[in-house]
Amino acid sequence: MASYYDIDDILVEEEIVSVIFQKAASGVGIDPSSETDFIEAGSKVELPFWLAHELQLRQAVSVNVPPCFNQKTRLEIQADCACVDLRSRCPYFYEFGCKIAPIVGDRTIGFLLLSAFKNRYKEVLTKAHTATIAVGSKFWTILTKEEINLYETAQSAMASFKKWRMGGARFQIASILGRKRKPTE
Amino acid sequence: MAGQSDHELSLFSAEELEFIAEDEIVDIVPNLKMDPLCLISGDFGPFTPQIVTQVPLWLAIALKKRGKCSICPPQWMTVEKLTQVLEVERDSQEMSEHLPFHYVEISRLLFDHARDNIPDAYMVRSLIEDIRDVRFHKVETDLEGFNGRTIAVKIKNLSAMEVNIVRPFIGRALQAFYKHDSSELIPDPERAPDRRPQVAHNAPRRQLRR
Repeated sequence: MASYYDIDDILVEEEIVSVIFQKAASGVGIDPSSETDFIEAGSKVELPFWLAHELQLRQAVSVNVPPCFNQKTRLEIQADCACVDLRSRCPYFYEFGCKIAPIVGDRTIGFLLLSAFKNRYKEVLTKAHTATIAVGSKFWTILTKEEINLYETAQSAMASFKKWRMGGARFQIASILGRKRKPTE
Repeated sequence: MAGQSDHELSLFSAEELEFIAEDEIVDIVPNLKMDPLCLISGDFGPFTPQIVTQVPLWLAIALKKRGKCSICPPQWMTVEKLTQVLEVERDSQEMSEHLPFHYVEISRLLFDHARDNIPDAYMVRSLIEDIRDVRFHKVETDLEGFNGRTIAVKIKNLSAMEVNIVRPFIGRALQAFYKHDSSELIPDPERAPDRRPQVAHNAPRRQLRR
């Protein structure tokens, strides 16, 4: 499980979802556009995920499927997964998907995530170990956070191997050694 | 993700692998006379000029640095052998078994310290580089086969350095696949029962690629 202090996990829960209030609520300043502190039942409000989740548990709201999992995105992912810019849609596409699926009760999101990751993984794999930094940086911009992590692990492993192969300074000089002795009076 | 720090994922650095590879035995021709060395890992020597003896690579390099011996390159490190290996590697998707586990490290150490003892050093070096590239490409092809069902990969005759390069990547990728494939999202009546027992008593693993 993700740890309490995991910054990524916190950021995932900051994602905005749109919800529909099932009950009327008063005395809440959730909706900045409304003039009063009163929310009528049936009104549509955008909330961060963590709040929507808590309200949903109390059956105060019903959560809509966020736009990054809507039909249009799905079609794009089916068409050419590797080129879809998931980062601009949702930088935490996979993590968010895992969290939102049980809440909106949509079983197909799980399959969507798996198939998207499976296809995009191949792209990451072929580019990660071979591409140079310059080529890579262009490719980077469409990856989600998780894919970037994967990409960076591969790159750093390759970089450290290359560094070793090139050689260079084998031993580090202990900080105490290079120093000049202080002149003794 | 999932709080994995880097040092957990990549267990060895290239330098550490090099250190391990230094325990491999090589032939040397000493040019000094010395009594056998009795070390914990075994007795090496006696050293008599022009008589071939076997020592670990680190000792060979130490002697070489002092100009006390010449190192005989291992049998696989010749132009003919390597050309053969390269052909075999190019022909099949299988990894060839003719190279030692530490071939990347051994060749690099020998090139660094005993370049003058390797005939056709330049050729040998470029052959080894080629072989490494071909093999690495194969590893990547094998890894492309990953999908949610994968719980392990089997690649025969992978060398120490090759496995070390891909280790962190594979770890993370498998972790991600496992997460997305696990049925924790919404319990699925069909899949839940067939997953559970496998986790419970490590039943025979599913047959994977090759």
